Order: sequence, then structure tokens, then C-alpha cells
Amino acid sequence: MQEKKYFTRMGDGSIVHMTEAEIREDMKAGMEDAVLRGKVEPLTDEEFEHLYNIITMPGTIVGVEPGMQIVTTSDSGSDKINTKCGIPVDRAVNAMIHERILGCDSVDIGYSDYNYKTVKGVAKREATILKHALNRTTMPLFYGAMPNLGFYTKPDGPVDNWAVLLPEGKIKESLAAQEEAVEHAVRDIVYVAEQMYDVGADGINLDTSGAAGDADFLVSLKATEAIKERFPDLNVEIGMAGEFVLGMHGKLKYDDVRLAGLYPHKQVKLAEKAGASIFGPVVNTNCNMTFPWNIARVCTFIKACTAVAEIPVHANTGMGVCGVPMCENLPADIVSRVDKALVEICKIDGL
Amino acid sequence: MSKELILKAAAESIIESDEDKALEALAQADAEGIDVVELLSEGYSAGMRELGDQFGRGEIFLPELIFSTEVMKVVTEKIEARMEGSDAPKKGVMVIGTVAGDVHDIGKGIVASLVKTNGIEVHDLGREVPAEVFVEKAIEYKADFVGSSALLTTTMTEQKKIEELLVKAGIRDKVKTLVGGAPVTKRWAEKIGADAYCEDATDAVNVILSWLND
Amino acid sequence: MGGVRTAGDLVLRMQLSHKMKINEAKKYVAEKLNVTLEELCDVVTMSEVREELGLGLGHVEPCAEANIGMEAKFRIAELLGIKINSVERFKERAGMK
Repeated sequence: MQEKKYFTRMGDGSIVHMTEAEIREDMKAGMEDAVLRGKVEPLTDEEFEHLYNIITMPGTIVGVEPGMQIVTTSDSGSDKINTKCGIPVDRAVNAMIHERILGCDSVDIGYSDYNYKTVKGVAKREATILKHALNRTTMPLFYGAMPNLGFYTKPDGPVDNWAVLLPEGKIKESLAAQEEAVEHAVRDIVYVAEQMYDVGADGINLDTSGAAGDADFLVSLKATEAIKERFPDLNVEIGMAGEFVLGMHGKLKYDDVRLAGLYPHKQVKLAEKAGASIFGPVVNTNCNMTFPWNIARVCTFIKACTAVAEIPVHANTGMGVCGVPMCENLPADIVSRVDKALVEICKIDGL
Repeated sequence: MSKELILKAAAESIIESDEDKALEALAQADAEGIDVVELLSEGYSAGMRELGDQFGRGEIFLPELIFSTEVMKVVTEKIEARMEGSDAPKKGVMVIGTVAGDVHDIGKGIVASLVKTNGIEVHDLGREVPAEVFVEKAIEYKADFVGSSALLTTTMTEQKKIEELLVKAGIRDKVKTLVGGAPVTKRWAEKIGADAYCEDATDAVNVILSWLND
Repeated sequence: MGGVRTAGDLVLRMQLSHKMKINEAKKYVAEKLNVTLEELCDVVTMSEVREELGLGLGHVEPCAEANIGMEAKFRIAELLGIKINSVERFKERAGMK
């Protein structure tokens, strides 16, 4: 008799069928990769078995027990009906759709050119849209965008491009350019936050933090600190870009901790220190590896993060992160397994 | 000093960005009569590959990688000068860029740096590069390798366009193509007819070196 | 959790304002509403509770007491004992404070 094979997927979403032995082998390898890179504890035997059961559980969609549900925040949520589906809907209406049709716990209003540098020029107009949405919705609303430090480099911005300077060996110049960009970006974010605070925003979402490396993460931390100092009632969510902070600068520190190379369990402590209300860790999905490999790796990293976090942790489970495949139309079989694993094994506070 | 120790010292000199140690290893290799090509590939380049792995794990950072690249450049130049007139190792030319509509150039820059340190002539075309430009530059520089990076599911289709334009220009059989970027997979590479999918910078170097050794 | 269909918005407000972890936030809201954790996540129970208390709903019937949006948030702030920024700014604009 042929050995039973289970339906699962690769990181790019393509279907693959695997035997129990193959699944376990990939899970072990994924977990060990996280342990090696993050220097974190592996999953316990019990957690490993539970994860195996989630991966191979019958049914297309799986879920948690009644009463175990958790909350959600989003990034660029209110704009996705427009940008991803091509349905031209006003963003305040979008927020109402998220609230009353999709059953979301919150959503963020964001500009289609989703970065604070661009938003600065239209911040008051953006605030007006948020104000309309706040008057008509019940759930918490954020204003969200990316710090996107790369936009501060020439030709888009005022400072020299460190991605060009570094390969040329101009180390000092590249470090100085990044440090200068940090100041510009923090100023822009705090300005936008002020406009959103004035119309009643529940929070500011600093999405995809660290996308341009350690200086980018520093921007989010410094901006959070400045926002909380000026507007203590305005809450901040810091969402990450990748699983570790890329050392484009390498020497930047926050609270005396070097930022480059930090993994989620260390990132969250700095987010706490800066005053963030919610931290959104990311673990990258590897398109060339299987779901068992990816999700075991994800659970190992995220469990280590929630274990030390004192603020709520909302794991990023969008396209290409935390085991969710890198494809435009997401398969619910995998997404629901990711969610279940993150809730039951990693004890996350939200998605 | 044994050959093994000299190769180890050469690798360490790159990992530690120590130019003096690198030159000392070269002098010792000369004294012991070790083949400098072997010293380059099994010593210095091995160090560079290890650094690439450490960078991938977030254990070292880009400026450190660049410091080591500078040391690598110094020893490579010295070895190359010595090999003039002799059978120099087979080298190649690469054009690389991030595809049109995509501004993500950090990963591509790292690949370009690391490939360059392995003795390949690299022409970095930058970011948001139209497929036509990849082909034009491949012809202009007589490239052996064409590398393209795409970080978005919406821009990876440009890599297919590059393949098509290379065929149209009649040079597809003269170049090897490499594709990379977060949404890119081996399956995608096979689908569009690219020669290789590379997961990261170290992978790109290994693929190119294996082609050179064929 | 289901947002206004259940109590997801209320639980999230406690995460935001008091940085409560999920279990603490759910317990806090459940106690305020006098429901169990299972009921807190249940759309049928919570629709009734929210309608009675005027906390905002997922459906808008042409009923006498519209309770979605700002008016619901006034009640939520009072129920949970928290400040909601949009409510505070609304009060300022309306000359209520």
C-alpha cells in the first residue's frame, strides 16, 4: 500500500503532497534554522506534535476553539479594496466595509503612496478623510504608512543614496547619509501623527519598519518616543519589515542596544521601551521551502517573541510573511493553519 | 606553515577585514609554493563566502562586508598582477539590476558586491531598470551573465520580459540568466526559462562559479 | 475576533489604551459586559448585548436608536473607563468641553 501523503503547499503557494516523515523532517529543519539564526529555544515536543497535527488536520479551513479568538489590526487595510481589487470606493466607506461586512476589529486609513514622506504634503487632507471615517465607525481606526527611509535618498529625497555609496567603499559618507535621513523621517512622521491626533485617530501604524535597514527601524523607535511624549493618548503600533534588522549602517543603537541583527524577541523589547502599544513581528516566508518548514520556523521565532513581550504582539500574517504564501490570492487552507498555530502555540495577542 | 593553515589564515583575514594578515598569507603561500589561484578560491574566497553566510543570518552587517571587500580587492589585484601572462582563471562579465517598477535595490546591491569580490566584472544598472536596458547593456558589455532582481509579485513578470527580449535580440544562447528576489522561486525560473534561481548573494556567487568551472 | 459583530473592537481598545495582553483584555471586557469569554466571542450573544447597551453593531436596521459611530463610542468610553481620542476631539469641536 502506498504511504499516505498530506496536501500542503510550498512557500509560493503551489500544491505539494508530503508523507508524515517528510513533513516532520521539514518541520525539524525549519525549527533548527530559527534556533540557529535567532539563538532562541526550540519548540517543546508537545508543541512540535501540536504543530504537526495542525499541518495535517483534515478540512480546508481550521480554527480555534470558541472563546479563543483574537483581535486583528491591519496595514494599508482601508486602501486594499481599491488598490488590490480595483473597486473605486472612498476610504471612509472602505473603513465601514471592514467594520460591518468583514468583521474587522480595526483598520487603518492609508494613502495609496503608502509612506510618511509622501503623506506629509497631503497630511491635512488625509486627516479629513480619517475624521469622516472616525465619525461613522465604531471600531478603532489607525492612520498607517511606512517610514520608508529609502525615499529620503537622491533622486527622491535630500540625502545621498547609501546603497550606492556602500559598494563604492564610501563607508563614512554612507553612515552619515543614513543618520541624516533618520532625522528627516522622524520629523515627517511626527508631523503626520499630529494631524491625525487632532482629528481623533486611535493610533498611528508604523508599518514595514526596518525595510531599509537598522536606520529605518531607528526611525520607528524615535518617532514612537516623540509621538508618545507629545500626544500620550495617541497609540502606536510598530510593524516590522523582516525577521531581522538588516545592518545597512551597523552601528546604530537605541537604548544602548545595537539594532542591526536583532530578531523579533529583541526587537519587541525596544518597541516597548519606545512606548509602542502593539508590536507586529515578521518572519519571512521562504518561497522555495514547504509550509511545514516555514511554519515550524515561524512558530519558533514568534513564540520566543511573545514569551518576553510585555505589550500585545500582533504577528504579521499577510502575503509572504509568517508562513503565509507569497502569492496574490491567498489559500485559506494555509492561512487558517498559520493563524491557528500562532494563537495556540505562540500565544499571540492579535494578527 | 602547512598549506591548510595558510588557506585558513587567508580565509580568516577576509572574515576579520585584516589587510596585513591577508598580505602575510600571500607571502607565506609564495614561500611554500602554493598555487595562488587555489589560495584565492580556497582561502580568501572561502572567507568571503563565510561572510556572506554570516550576513544572511544577520550576524554581520553591510559596512563590515564592505570593509572585507576592500581587503579582498587588494589581494585579488596582487594575485592578478602575478598571473599576467599565465593561465588566468576564467572570469566573466555580469550585468545586474532591479527590474522596472521596482525600487528595492538593497539585495541586488549586496549580490553585485559579493559577485564583484569573486573576480567577476559587474555592471550594476541600478533600480527600476527596463527590460530593454538589460538587453542593451548585456550587448554593450558583452555580458556572460544577466542578473535581475524583483521584490514584488507585480514586478517579477519583468524577468519574463527580459528572457523574451534576449531571445529576440539573438543573444539568449550567449548569456546565462539569474533571477532573484523574495517572490521569485526555482519554479518561476523554470517557467520563464531563466538559467538559475538564486536565493541570496552567496547562492548567486556559487552558481556563477560553478558555471565558470564547467 | 469579529469586531462589532462580537467584542473585538472593545478588546482591541484595551490593548491600545492599557497595553493589555489578549487574555487580560478579554477578561476585562467580559467582566464589564457580564458575559463569559465564550459569549464575548459569540456573534449572537454579543449582537444582543451591544444592541441593548448601544455599543454599535454590524448591521444597521432602521431602528429608533441608531447606535453606530460616534454615539456608540461615547458609550464605549464610559463602559470601559477609557478615553477615546475621537470622542474627546468631537467634544471639543461640539463645544462640549
